[in-house]
Amino acid sequence: MAGVGLIFFPAFDWCITPDHPEREERLLYTRDQIQEEGILDLPQFREYRPRMAAEKEIQRAHVFVPSLRAHITESHLIAAGGAIAAADLVMGGKEERACALVRPPGHHAMRVVHGQRGFCLVNNEAVMVEHIRQKLGPEARIAIVDTDVHHGDGTQDIYYNDPNVLHISLHQDGRTLYPGTGFLSERGGPGAYGLTVNIPLPPGTGDEGILAVMESLVLPILKDFQPDLVINGAGQDNHFTDPLANMQVTAQGYARLTELLKPDIVVLEGGYAVEGALPYVNLGILLALAGLDYSHVIEPDLTRYNLRQNQAVTETIAYLIDSVGEQWAQRREADLEGIFGSGDFFQRNRMIYYDTAGITESQRSCIRLCSTCAGWERIETRSDRFREMTCAVLLPWNCCSKCRSEAEAEYEEAAFSRRFRKVALHDPQKDHFTELRK
Amino acid sequence: MYTIGIDVGGTNTDGALLFGHDILAVVKVPTDHEDLVGSTRAALEQLLKSCPAGAEIELQLSTTLTTNTIVEGKGTPTAAVVIPGPGLNLDQCGLDLPFHVLSGYVDHRGRVIADIKADQAVDAALEAKRQGAEALAIVGKFSQRNPRLETAAAQAIRGAGLEFSYITLGHEIAARLGFPRRVVTAYLNSQVAAAQERFIRAVQELEEFRTIRILKADGGTMTLAQSRQRPIETILSGPAASVMAALALTRYTEHNVAVVDIGGTTTDLAVVVGGLPVYERDGAVIAGYPTAVPAVYSRSIGLGGDSEVHLTVEEGRASFTLGPKRAGKPACLGGAHVTPTDAISALRLAEVGNREQAVAALQAFASPHGLSWQEAAQGIVDAFVHQLCQAIHAVYDELEGRPVYTLAEFLEKPELMPQVIACLGTPAPAIMPAVGEKLGLPVEILPCSASANAIGSAAARPTTGITLHADTALGQMSIPEMGLFKEIERPALFDQRRARREALERLVEYARQSGLDEVPELDIVAEEAFNIVRGFRTVGRIFHIGAQIRPGARRIRVKEGT
Repeated sequence: MAGVGLIFFPAFDWCITPDHPEREERLLYTRDQIQEEGILDLPQFREYRPRMAAEKEIQRAHVFVPSLRAHITESHLIAAGGAIAAADLVMGGKEERACALVRPPGHHAMRVVHGQRGFCLVNNEAVMVEHIRQKLGPEARIAIVDTDVHHGDGTQDIYYNDPNVLHISLHQDGRTLYPGTGFLSERGGPGAYGLTVNIPLPPGTGDEGILAVMESLVLPILKDFQPDLVINGAGQDNHFTDPLANMQVTAQGYARLTELLKPDIVVLEGGYAVEGALPYVNLGILLALAGLDYSHVIEPDLTRYNLRQNQAVTETIAYLIDSVGEQWAQRREADLEGIFGSGDFFQRNRMIYYDTAGITESQRSCIRLCSTCAGWERIETRSDRFREMTCAVLLPWNCCSKCRSEAEAEYEEAAFSRRFRKVALHDPQKDHFTELRK
Repeated sequence: MYTIGIDVGGTNTDGALLFGHDILAVVKVPTDHEDLVGSTRAALEQLLKSCPAGAEIELQLSTTLTTNTIVEGKGTPTAAVVIPGPGLNLDQCGLDLPFHVLSGYVDHRGRVIADIKADQAVDAALEAKRQGAEALAIVGKFSQRNPRLETAAAQAIRGAGLEFSYITLGHEIAARLGFPRRVVTAYLNSQVAAAQERFIRAVQELEEFRTIRILKADGGTMTLAQSRQRPIETILSGPAASVMAALALTRYTEHNVAVVDIGGTTTDLAVVVGGLPVYERDGAVIAGYPTAVPAVYSRSIGLGGDSEVHLTVEEGRASFTLGPKRAGKPACLGGAHVTPTDAISALRLAEVGNREQAVAALQAFASPHGLSWQEAAQGIVDAFVHQLCQAIHAVYDELEGRPVYTLAEFLEKPELMPQVIACLGTPAPAIMPAVGEKLGLPVEILPCSASANAIGSAAARPTTGITLHADTALGQMSIPEMGLFKEIERPALFDQRRARREALERLVEYARQSGLDEVPELDIVAEEAFNIVRGFRTVGRIFHIGAQIRPGARRIRVKEGT
């Protein structure tokens, strides 16, 4: 019997704004449905309290500009702490699987945070993954499968160059939906090439399509990667009633997906059909996690929609499965020099828009091309809200001694440089995170 | 005003006579399981001797009637007719009772998505009858948000001329969310209704009383008429009575109190916070059935004066564990077993039975293991203290871990940890000082331990509560406890203030219906308010308000020499 630990924190007194999709009401009907079904009386389930994440735990995943305290609310700390509590249940052997139904979500929050993006401020999953790795050590291999309809660009950003974290995002094609990224060409940095896997699904994808992707693409990739833990960022906005997206997945589809994926830890992401979808999808996911029959979980609206997947959509998905599968199979043969150049650094310049906060960030990142480790990274960032420049130096988990001394020297130099108002050094190996504000 | 409290327990029937706040007399008679009313009568007759003739008396009764009826499976053969709609497969709910499924369903907002089919309801009832059911429970998912389908099914069944001795509708018996618990509660309610009815008739023939009230699992009382409709709420009134006794007798009326009631077979632990008892989160569990019956939080552990004593010796170190089973009568009281009571007697921690017999039994028990009787007795007492402390810790860990769903509750967690331990039970004076020392808490040994349950029954006050759910977008409001389901007048103007006022006014009305002459203090115990936003526009609000009469017990003074 699979034991499932549930961390439920609907934050009934927290919202972005009262009529925002991310509002108090969001998990109300889910709570009502779960309580009315009485599943927490079943021997398979136990409910636990979340805890509040410590500032340091958040900092493992983020560099906040100008500071963490300028942005954070208690609800963010509890959502992230809820994810950590879920991970502890599984790692401590208390439960076989755990599910954190917490809000607000987190997967659009990138390494650098100037404000809220896509309703997210703190990347709950990344905070949780870094907590797990501090416990399990640098060799732990973790797979994150993001099934939110929006591209998990924040999580992708944080793990873009991390060879021990596989990030797979299934989402509605970025050409048709926020945040407008998540294409096949985004495959990871020089130290983790191929370990960012994007599967941009065409609008109109239904159960048939998403399950085909799971079975023929995601599961084989996971089998190949051999993760120690599988984490599911469970957005529920692929649902056919979601007001912000255009997909056709049902509660049955989500439950089957969960059954196939068998995630160790599920963390709620988005999903804004608060009444027609969330109560049923969440119930379906919980039942599937516990290995219980979910075939009776059926949305009231189901019969009013024609949910047959369009033939063109089916063909596009078949093509995607082939292309992404081939990319995965050939990731080791990729011409890294052709992609990242043959110099000492790989440099990216990006403009990042924060839709929720209305901020535009400009960022330059340089990753050290290193043959021993993933290479240290240096990020220079500023935004139209926080105009003064911040510099962050990030050591990889598997940092080699050469990269370490280079990065530390770089940090010293930045710390003395008058160009930067704030400098940060992230050293996950030593679990040491320094921030200096001048 | 005279009050008589009677607790018909498993072994003994206890009675207490009160005048105002003072105890005038207590009695104890053995319980006759075949005749609970007879046991009540025997206790009553003795108590009435201390009462002037013609005095106005109120009687408050706690019995094991419904509990025993369920535990022994002696209730009316009953079947459930359920309207589950979509969701968890009922076969996986662990519902250990016969049920028949109808189509149709109500959603989480209380909207009827699909109606029931009348002929299907009739067929289900016929099938239930064919299988021997004499009483029915009809329960729908989300019926407390909208009872229409349950009512329609009952009408169809009655309309077809099918007779059942009792029919319980889910929304009448369980206002909380939790469909499987509602099914179980309604089912058990129908099962015990006939037994309760017989009991009520017999009680009414006893004497002339001003009022007769029955103790409930939540430590409050209800009228005989109410107990006819909701007999299931009288389960587990014994543990509730002991908590009420502690509330009535403790000097620490405003404090956080851990209540420890040490019996022969078990020790019951309960929790008082700020003078009010803590309740079960979802409802009482009886005979393995999780129900929605509001109940005082109580945990029973297999540790008592008559517990089995186990001794293991490893590497020359002896360690004792006690319970969870009862060994039997202690040696000092003429039994054949070494028990904690014998250790208490031998060490002179209390005067119990024949001390020589206790010492002899301990000696016989200890010497094969190379221990003296003193070492064994001390080891047993230490084990008792250790196990009890662990159980107390477990209780508080469980309560501290109760989930909360708002930031406010998360951040302003009420302090539950006890400031004092109040104890009942004969072994308490011998054991509890060491427990208090170990936990760093003062210990209060409550007087009149032997009659605690009767005192608790006498001290109990009526409790009643309602849950108001209003949905202004749908324009509907419900208070299932009162069978009230109605349209909201001018829903656009129905705000939180009005919701609160409505809840409190209805509670007063309900309290009057429940036979309360004067309404004591009212509390809003739960409050939720949500904007319903559709398409970036607020289209209404949902209010959920729980209100109750503040629970509590009449204070009781014990005069010297009672």
